[in-house]
Amino acid sequence: MGPTLTKNNEQKMSGVRGTEIMAAAGAREIRDGEVVVVGIGLPWVACVLAKRTHAPRLTFLLEIGVMNAEPIDTPVGVADPRNFYRATCWTSFRDVMGMSLQRGVVDVGFLGTLEIDGFGNLNTTLLKDDSGKVRYFNGSAGGNDTASLARRVIVIMRHEKRKMRQAVAHLTSPGFVGGRGRRELGLRGDGPHRLITDSAVIGFDPDTHAAMLLSLHPIVRLEDVLENTGFPLRIPKEIPATPLPTLEEVRLLQEEIDPKGIYLG
Amino acid sequence: MANKVKTVAEVVQTIPDGSHIALGGFAINRGCIAVAHELIRQQKKNLTLSQGVVGLDTDLLVGAGLVSRLIMGGGSLDRFGPVHCVNRARESRSVDAHDYSSLTICFRYLAGALGLSFIPVKSLLSSEVLERLEAGSAAKDVQRMKCPFTGEEYLLLRALNPDVSFVHVQVADYDGNSQIHGARWENEEQAKAGRRVIVIAEELVSTEYIQRYPEKTIIPAHRVEAVIHQPFGAHPTAVFQCYDFDADHLRLYVDHAKRIDRFPEYLKTYVSGTRDHWEYLEKVGGLRRMNDLKADRILGY
Repeated sequence: MGPTLTKNNEQKMSGVRGTEIMAAAGAREIRDGEVVVVGIGLPWVACVLAKRTHAPRLTFLLEIGVMNAEPIDTPVGVADPRNFYRATCWTSFRDVMGMSLQRGVVDVGFLGTLEIDGFGNLNTTLLKDDSGKVRYFNGSAGGNDTASLARRVIVIMRHEKRKMRQAVAHLTSPGFVGGRGRRELGLRGDGPHRLITDSAVIGFDPDTHAAMLLSLHPIVRLEDVLENTGFPLRIPKEIPATPLPTLEEVRLLQEEIDPKGIYLG
Repeated sequence: MANKVKTVAEVVQTIPDGSHIALGGFAINRGCIAVAHELIRQQKKNLTLSQGVVGLDTDLLVGAGLVSRLIMGGGSLDRFGPVHCVNRARESRSVDAHDYSSLTICFRYLAGALGLSFIPVKSLLSSEVLERLEAGSAAKDVQRMKCPFTGEEYLLLRALNPDVSFVHVQVADYDGNSQIHGARWENEEQAKAGRRVIVIAEELVSTEYIQRYPEKTIIPAHRVEAVIHQPFGAHPTAVFQCYDFDADHLRLYVDHAKRIDRFPEYLKTYVSGTRDHWEYLEKVGGLRRMNDLKADRILGY
């Protein structure tokens, strides 16, 4: 892990935290009127931000069976009843994951992960330390289903070398496995679309499916990103800067969406 | 109309060692806690447990050493932490864990509930989740095939029919008509796949009440064998519109569960050291604490 990078991102930059840049960059990937299956954590924060700003007609689905809730208290997890408030529908896995996601009407699957590789494959099951000792985590839950079936998949996570690996310790949720196309893999949807970290926005080459840098967050240096990415990253000639969140976005994040810093830190 | 009301102890006495039990909780919501505690008090052995997203109810049973096989889609205690006992048992391989996903567990129950022997699904393909299932004792439950009509690749899942499905609901009548408020994950499919279906109700109501809101009945009486009436039976997990999760007690639980040497102390104090769920409720703060957790009528938590 690159100490310089982490230190920079932990610092408040004109009052803006790394997690807030991530949330705003994530929100901007969502278009108004889309249907999104949302994982808890920063995916939830980013999608709520999108809905409260440029995407008021977003259809907001939680795997557990909640549609379009408008929580007024930050939920501590997907099963927290805070997530049920002002919903337009209370339903089930079968409905959300089956009759929306597998049915093919979900535009975006928005996920967090423990590890990712350069083809957007995700690991949420286990980590191995250097001695080979295995530590188990949450497993798939709706992650594999979402990654297998949503039209495009957006992943949001901290930028750390040990989490952005040449090969994930366990392939829980498939992206472009082995660089192969989705139909060849037997999967629906177009696979990984964006990886948003606290340093950069990364996309995937439409032909080779390999990771490519799309923008760097302000004050983040390219050499730090390269140093902290464990898989090959294609670098464009001109590297745009990720736009900072607007004052209104920061206000929404800090005062309304996650005032206790449960996910924004 | 039958009166199916029983105590949790009576119901648990009828469950043989080695049974396959399905629990209706999800992380920190509507966990079958009163049932999990009683299974531990009666020291049932060699259980197979299945659940979509395992939570506190399953973590208790695995931590108490009652479980030999786990069929699960994922697991967590949300921001309170991971399911430490479950994860530790997987690391030491003291349980045979079959990992699926939320949708595939739900579909296995759905097939079981529909009286089908298998069901096709489009997830888990091209993942290590599937490779691991195929390489272990779950190999008999999964099969790849191409659609005979379109040639598209599918995963076939064997139906899952638990011996006993438990589900904690807000409201049931004496005959077992059960209503669930809020999200219901795979509760309906899991319950209806069960060979026996046991409902734990926060509130017991008349059939007249059920008849006023029949659209809310998720599990109908003819599928229900017994109703356990246990207010605060899901504590410290949440029951929407009844009470919030108990954050203090969940933190206390996780503090014990994350250390293998401290967990027996939790079980001794709160489970084996209490006669029944009423005594457990007294121990965790009694009426005053439960009143603090009572849901706001508008918010539902």
